[in-house]
Amino acid sequence: MLLLKLIQSLIRTLHSEGTPGQLAAGLALGAILGLTPLWNLHNAVVFALILVLNVSFPGAMVGWALFVPVGFLLDPAFDWIGRTLLLETPALRPLWTALYNVPVVPLTGFNNTIVLGSLVFASAVWLPLFFASRWGVGRYRATVAERVKRSALYRAVVASKLYNLYRLFRPEP
Amino acid sequence: MRVAVFRWKAVVPLLLLGAGGLGLWLAFADRIAKRTAESVGTTLVGAQVEIERLHIDLRHARVEIHGLTVASPFEALQNLLQADALVADLDPLPLLEKKVVIDRLTATGLQFGTPRETDGRTGGQADGVMGQMQRWAAQLEVPALQLATGKIRMDRLDPARLSTPRAAAALAARADSARQAWDSRLSGLDAAATVDSARRMVERLRGAKPTDVNLLGDARRTLGQLQQAQDRATALERSVTSGIAELQVGAAGLGDARQRDYAIARGLLKLPGLDAPDMGAALFGSAAVDRFRRALYWVELGRPYMPPGLLPRATPGPRRARGAGATVRFPRAHEEPAFLLKTAELSVQLGAVGAVPPPRTYAASVSGVTSDPALYGQPATASATAPGFRLGALLDHVRPTPRDTAAASLAGVALPPVALPSLPIRLEPGVGTVALTFSVQGDQVRARWPMQWAIWSGGSCPGSPRSKCRPAWWEASPARGSRSARTSIARWPNGCARWRARSSRWLSAGCAPRSTASWTGTSLPSSPRSRRSGGGT
Repeated sequence: MLLLKLIQSLIRTLHSEGTPGQLAAGLALGAILGLTPLWNLHNAVVFALILVLNVSFPGAMVGWALFVPVGFLLDPAFDWIGRTLLLETPALRPLWTALYNVPVVPLTGFNNTIVLGSLVFASAVWLPLFFASRWGVGRYRATVAERVKRSALYRAVVASKLYNLYRLFRPEP
Repeated sequence: MRVAVFRWKAVVPLLLLGAGGLGLWLAFADRIAKRTAESVGTTLVGAQVEIERLHIDLRHARVEIHGLTVASPFEALQNLLQADALVADLDPLPLLEKKVVIDRLTATGLQFGTPRETDGRTGGQADGVMGQMQRWAAQLEVPALQLATGKIRMDRLDPARLSTPRAAAALAARADSARQAWDSRLSGLDAAATVDSARRMVERLRGAKPTDVNLLGDARRTLGQLQQAQDRATALERSVTSGIAELQVGAAGLGDARQRDYAIARGLLKLPGLDAPDMGAALFGSAAVDRFRRALYWVELGRPYMPPGLLPRATPGPRRARGAGATVRFPRAHEEPAFLLKTAELSVQLGAVGAVPPPRTYAASVSGVTSDPALYGQPATASATAPGFRLGALLDHVRPTPRDTAAASLAGVALPPVALPSLPIRLEPGVGTVALTFSVQGDQVRARWPMQWAIWSGGSCPGSPRSKCRPAWWEASPARGSRSARTSIARWPNGCARWRARSSRWLSAGCAPRSTASWTGTSLPSSPRSRRSGGGT
C-alpha cells in the first residue's frame, strides 16, 4: 500500500504543472528531511522552506519518502563523518565550542554525530541532486510523459480522491 | 515563464501548523517529559524509574515530580528510593542552550529500601557497570566460613605425614651427625701428643747450646706442628659454631612446622585462624564486599557523567529509530555547565510506616552536582545529620584525579540478620550501630564497614535473664592494640585475590561486641592488571 501510494505520488508529481526546477528543488529539500533524523530543529526550518518557497510540495514528500531508507542505510557513514568533524578535527573545535554555547543552536542537535554527519552529507549532495533531478524530470517529460498520460494507470491515479488534496499544494505557475 | 519564489498562500497554513504544534506540545509536554524522564532514569540507574505525575510549569520555570519510585538495581523486590514530591526551580535562560541549571530542588517524603511487588531491575546501559562490579567482587576470594561436612579424613593427621615430627626427627639426626663429626675431628686433632712433644722440646732447649744446629731444626719442626694444631682447632671451632647456629635455625623451624600442622588440622574442619582478621573476614567478608560493591557501583556509574577537565565529551546519543550516534558536549570556561544542581534540600524518612519504632524524618542537603565540575569549580557535597545519624559525601571531580569519599553511620537501627556460612546459625544482631566509609581516589579504593551491637553466645536471648547469657565481643581495631590488626589482599598476578592476615588481637571478654570489615585496595575493575591490597577484620 505504501509503495502504491509512493508510485501514485511520484507519477502525479512528474506530471504536475510545476517546472522541472520546482520539482527538483522540492525533491532535494525533501531529501534533507529523509537523510537527517526527523525530529530536529533544522528540519522544522526545511519544512517551513518547503511550504513557503514555491517548490513542489509533492516533490518534497517524494524526496523525503525516497531518502528515508537511504538515511537509515547510511547512518554508519553519517556517524563516521560526524565523529571526524566533531572529535577528530581539532581545527574545528573552536567553532563547535562557540556554537555549543550560543543560545538555540544546541537545540538543533548539531553536536550529535549522526545529525551533523547527515546534515553535512545532505548539504553536499543537495546541488548535485537538484541538477540531476531537474535534468531527469525534463528528459522524462520530453520523452515518455505523453505515453504515460495516455495509460490507464495514470488515469486511475488522477481520478483518485487524493488528487484533490494534492491540488492544494501544487506549484503555482 | 517567470516563476514566483514564494508561495504566500502557504504562510497561513504554516502558521496554523506551528500554532497547532505548540498547542500539542503544551498539551502533551508533561507526558512526553514524564516518559523521557522515566526512560533516561531507567537507563542510567539500571532499574525501573516510575513517575506518577510530572508537571512543567513554564511560567515559573519549575518542574514538579510526584510519586517518584526508583527500583533497586541490586534487589529484586525492593525500591532504591521513593519520593512523594520533587520540585525543581530551573534557570530558564540556559534552557535555550539545552542546559539544565536547577537553582533549588526540594524533595519531600524520601524513603529508602521500601518493598515492591515486581522485579524492577533492567540492566541496559548500566548493566555494563553492574557486570564490572560483579566481576570485581568475584575476584575477591574472601575466605568465607565453610565448615567441613560429612566424613572427615583424619589420615592427614598421621604423625608420619605431619611436618613437625618429620622436622624434629630430621633435626635430631642432624644434631647426632654433627656431634659425631665434631668428635671425630676433635680426636683427629691429637692435641695431647703435640703438647707433649712441645713440652719435651722446651726441656731440651733449656740445657742446649746455642750452636746445636740439629736441635734448632727440631725446635722449628715442633713449632710448625704446634701452628698446624692451632689452625685445626680454630677450624673445628668455626665448624662447631656454624653447626650450632644451623641447629638453632632448625629448632626455630620446628615452630613454623607446628603452625603448618595446625593449619592442616584446621583445614580438615575448614576452620579459619583464630586471629581477629581471619574471623572477621570469614564471618563478614562476603557481606562487606557486597556493600563495597554497591558503593563502587554508584561511583562508577556517576563518574562518566561528572568527568574532570574541559575537553569535549562524547556520550551515547538519544534513543530513536535512526542510529543514536554520539552526542558531544563542548564545555567552555565561564559558561554554564550542561547540568547543574546548585542546592537540594531533602526530607528523608527512615523506617517503615507503621513500624516500631515509628519512622523518623531527617533533613539532608546536596549541592554542586554538575556534569562539568571544572566549570562549576566546586566539588559536589551531600550531608545529613540527625540524632544517631550522620552522613557526609564529597565528590571532588574538579581536579584531574577524581576523589569520591563518603561516610555514614546510623545508631539505634535494626541491623539485618547475617547468615553465618556453613553453620546452622543466623546472627541476628538486633539493634546496633552500622557505618560505612568509602573512598575512591583515582583508581584506589578504600572502604570500611564497622558494625556494633550486643550479642550473646548461643544466639540472642530475648526475654532471658541476662546473667544466663555469656557475653562475648570481638575487637580488631588497630587503634586499640600495639600491633596492626589489618588483613590485606595479596596481589593477584593471575587475576585472583587472596586474603592475608598480618597480625591481630583476639579477645574474648567484655560485653560490647564490635566487628569491622574493611578493604583497602588499589585499582578499579577497569584496570585488572594493576595491584590491589585489602584488609578485613
